[in-house]
Amino acid sequence: MPFEQAFRLSSILLTATAFAGLVFARTVPVWLAVPITIILLIILLQTMGWAYGRRITERISASSIMWNVLLVTAFGFFLLNVTAISRELLPAGIHFLIMLLGIKLFTLQQRRDYRHLYAISLMAILASAALTTDIGYVPIFLCYLLTVVWSLLLYHLTNETSVHAATPTGERASVAPSAGHVTGGFFWLTNGIAVITFTLTLALFFLLPRVSAGLLQKSRGEGLKTTGFSERVDLGMIGSVKEDPQIVMRVELPDQPAAGKERLYLRGLAYDRYNGSSWSTSSRERRNLGLIADGIFAVRSSGTRTPSSISEPLRQDILLEALDTSVLFAAPFAEFISGEFSGMQVDGMTGLHLPFPASSRIRYSVTSREHHIISDEQLASGLDYSNSIRDRYLQLPELSMQVIDLAQQVTGSAPTPYEKTVAIQQHLLNSYRYSLDTGTTHSTRPIEDFLFTRKTGYCEHYATAMVLLLRSLGIPARLVTGFLATEWNDFGNYFTVRQRDAHAWVEVYYPHSGWITMDPTPASTAASSPSGWEALQRIGESLRLQWDRVFIRYSARDQLAVVYSLRDSSDSARDYLSRWMITLKTTVSQTLGQIKAHAKSASPLALWLAAILPGVGLALLFVVIKKTWWDTIPSHRPTIRKQEYIAQLYKKMLDVAAKQGIIKHPTLTPMEFVQLVRREWSEAGSMVADLTMLYCRGRFSGSPLTHEELSLAGEKIRALQRMSRATG
Amino acid sequence: MSNPSRHTPIGQLASRIRHLATRRSIRLTSEGTRFLLFTIGIGIAAINTGNNLFYLLLAMMFSLVVISGLLSELCLRCLDLHRHVPDLITAHEPTTVTLSVTNRNSRFPTFSLRLFDVVGGQDVDRGLFVRYLPAQRSLLLSYPLLAAKRGWLHLDYIRAETLFPFGLFLKRALYPVEANILVGPPIKPLSLRFIDELVCEGQGLALPRRGHGTQLYNLRLYQPGDDSRSIHWMTTARTSQLVVRETEAEDQRRMTILLSTTAPEECDSLFEQSVTLVASLLWQLSTRSYPLRLIVGQEDAGLGFGSDHLLTMLRLLALCERQNPGRPEANIAASASALSRDTERGYTLAILPWSGEDVTAVTVTADRVLHAAQIEEVTHAF
Repeated sequence: MPFEQAFRLSSILLTATAFAGLVFARTVPVWLAVPITIILLIILLQTMGWAYGRRITERISASSIMWNVLLVTAFGFFLLNVTAISRELLPAGIHFLIMLLGIKLFTLQQRRDYRHLYAISLMAILASAALTTDIGYVPIFLCYLLTVVWSLLLYHLTNETSVHAATPTGERASVAPSAGHVTGGFFWLTNGIAVITFTLTLALFFLLPRVSAGLLQKSRGEGLKTTGFSERVDLGMIGSVKEDPQIVMRVELPDQPAAGKERLYLRGLAYDRYNGSSWSTSSRERRNLGLIADGIFAVRSSGTRTPSSISEPLRQDILLEALDTSVLFAAPFAEFISGEFSGMQVDGMTGLHLPFPASSRIRYSVTSREHHIISDEQLASGLDYSNSIRDRYLQLPELSMQVIDLAQQVTGSAPTPYEKTVAIQQHLLNSYRYSLDTGTTHSTRPIEDFLFTRKTGYCEHYATAMVLLLRSLGIPARLVTGFLATEWNDFGNYFTVRQRDAHAWVEVYYPHSGWITMDPTPASTAASSPSGWEALQRIGESLRLQWDRVFIRYSARDQLAVVYSLRDSSDSARDYLSRWMITLKTTVSQTLGQIKAHAKSASPLALWLAAILPGVGLALLFVVIKKTWWDTIPSHRPTIRKQEYIAQLYKKMLDVAAKQGIIKHPTLTPMEFVQLVRREWSEAGSMVADLTMLYCRGRFSGSPLTHEELSLAGEKIRALQRMSRATG
Repeated sequence: MSNPSRHTPIGQLASRIRHLATRRSIRLTSEGTRFLLFTIGIGIAAINTGNNLFYLLLAMMFSLVVISGLLSELCLRCLDLHRHVPDLITAHEPTTVTLSVTNRNSRFPTFSLRLFDVVGGQDVDRGLFVRYLPAQRSLLLSYPLLAAKRGWLHLDYIRAETLFPFGLFLKRALYPVEANILVGPPIKPLSLRFIDELVCEGQGLALPRRGHGTQLYNLRLYQPGDDSRSIHWMTTARTSQLVVRETEAEDQRRMTILLSTTAPEECDSLFEQSVTLVASLLWQLSTRSYPLRLIVGQEDAGLGFGSDHLLTMLRLLALCERQNPGRPEANIAASASALSRDTERGYTLAILPWSGEDVTAVTVTADRVLHAAQIEEVTHAF
């Protein structure tokens, strides 16, 4: 393919890539995306030599006045867009940019137009970088980099060619019959340059110091809408998102990399007050958490618990999407939270809150400890609750006697509060069917409806029913909303949590054990084993997480971590080396001691052999290594040097002879010159003959001269310089 | 460009000096300026927002800059340049100079190379452009060289520059490829009348000498190698010895040209015209196979004929310089006096661009003297 055609093609592909970036960022409306795509296709086909495409562009091509009018119209639309339609600069700017791109594609004539096209493409790829963080940006960026390298290279080469072709006296030369065409070698060379550029880009990306000034920034967009994490939750709200597959967060368990089979409760908010149709919190007070180290907040636990009631710590690394709530999620019960937060708050029921909802993805780590009920409280027939607990967690709305009777009936045979709790949980698990199709959202008594009429429901109904049944028996309990993570990604070793994983469960209070998590909701029947497509989706999910972790979330802190790890590695390497040296020294001294001890009793011959043999061995090793090294190094360069060296010596010899009045005419062969010297300067004849022979052999025979021969030639030259010709 | 003298410390020092001499310079092109402005813009956006994708684009822009520098250096690093120039060229006449460009790089080809002659510290664009030169290959470029004046023309360096790969930077390298070219005076056509006059005047002063012809010059004993057809049989019979007959040469013309280099500064152009006149005259007479002798000031090229001798005389003319009056070494009178004693000088033409000093000896010795006015008359068409 000729350079000129390749240049046009790469420029169009560059533009197409930048445009694809904008489309991918979902910033291009359909009414704009479709025509620009068609224009790109036509121009692309025309560039590739499609005759019909050329005819189309010829028909469309109009006067420059028309294009200028179109340009002004586009700018007018941009102003209207900013002031009246979208009222935002970025979307309006992108629309204007795309219109410019479309106009420019039809007016590509001069090289200046291509420069404008590159500038528009750069702005487009920049805009798409501002509007997306998805992993889908990776292939777009790679294509952009590749086409940038091709376009800039060909722009330069075609420009040089056209400039020099325009110079009548110019001497243009190239050593290739196909110069001016994209050959195989040029193709791979350019792609190689692109690969090197990409590698360097990665290196620079990680090395560039991260700074975020945050001047004139505007929070972009709204977070993902969630349900069930506000001050008041109406019964049935969670059901509305139970089929939403949008990802809310990804949770890694660094200390338990193979925790896939377990279910993980991610606690959001707890509710203590129920009015018959909705849950709310009695206290809105929040306290700020204190920092115990750089970026680490500690949650003070309330009450006193015996150590045996606390489980092993569970560390979670959570990547939370931008949500419309300030609630942070973590496995119950969080003890330490670390992340790049300006502050952290906790409410009265250990719900974690940011000061305000995050405008973008956040990453944080939480260390949690779950509570277990101690055996004494399992067996105790009665528990002594404090008044504050009673007042707050035994509140009941106006309930029908049917509910109280049901509680008594289910727990009739259970002697202890713990067994009563388990009996209620088992009753709910076994006697009711999980279904999202409940129709109780607008019922005035939804729990009674669930317990006695429909007998189907989902997590909110189960959890609310359990709390009410427990409270009717005098056992403090509260409803908790959050997420139940069940989707384990085997490829990335993390839980993917979606909107549909929103869940409600129960926490039951025991004075010494604390709040114990209990879930009365049976498993959904919709759960099934993952198909091949889902496995692929999980691989994609895993890649997305890696992309987010390595590229999107890469920060100054990560850079510092790399520096510290390098420092630690060098320290450990130094320690290892010093330990190794000490060990070696000890071993050598011990061996020498043993040798000395043996030497006293050994014969003199054995001593001599012991001294000589290692030396001989080392010498042999040296010879072998040297020979191998000489064999492996490329031989053509020294040969060239030797050739040049003997040629220089021969030239020096000619200079010496010229000083003595014997000049070698260009028509004389070296051997004829020897004859001349023999005639004119007989005493130098033999030396000149020897040097000439060496020169001919070293220069033309292909067998390189040895170092000895070269030094001999040098000596002969010096001797020749000392001689003087007898004249007269 | 390996050199055996590199093996010695002096050689290494020379190599380093040479390396410094091939110094590099880099300049932003207009495209490069725009590119850097975009890069700065993206950098500001990245710093302001902390958006890592902006940092990724910024890293890409920086990489392109770095790669640009590396590749342009690769293009210029292992170039071997040799200039091939003739021994003697003529002023105001284009001469072809050949430049050999070799890419010594073992793998990487060279692209978009522009080459300039550096004369007196100034780049002279000869329109030399190498679009593509593969690794370990060489090519020859030729270009016309036009010297403006006679004397030594010194070509200092060759400057190579490239915009490869992206046209963002113009990278330049200076290669010490020195060349000294001797520029002879221009050869101009002379009027046939003037030449014929000189030739006719010279005929009267022809001296008999041996050569091809019909008239008897001499009889001598036969020597091995003599043409048997030249045996003079009558004398051979009379003397009983083989005697051959020698003829008198019919082209027995010879000419000596004296050029005075003494002239004041205001006669500089006339002096140059005189040099041009002498060169043109030598050229014309040489084509007519005249044995010629040239004396410039006190420099004597000797008597001779043929193209080699013509070149020797032109070299003498190329290097002769006008001398201000009063310098004894420039006085042509001494040369004229010495010449007067030479009986075989043939027809002698003296050219005196300035006649202010004692030129009696010249007037006596020379058969014809051209003074300033006559020189101007002959050379007015130059």
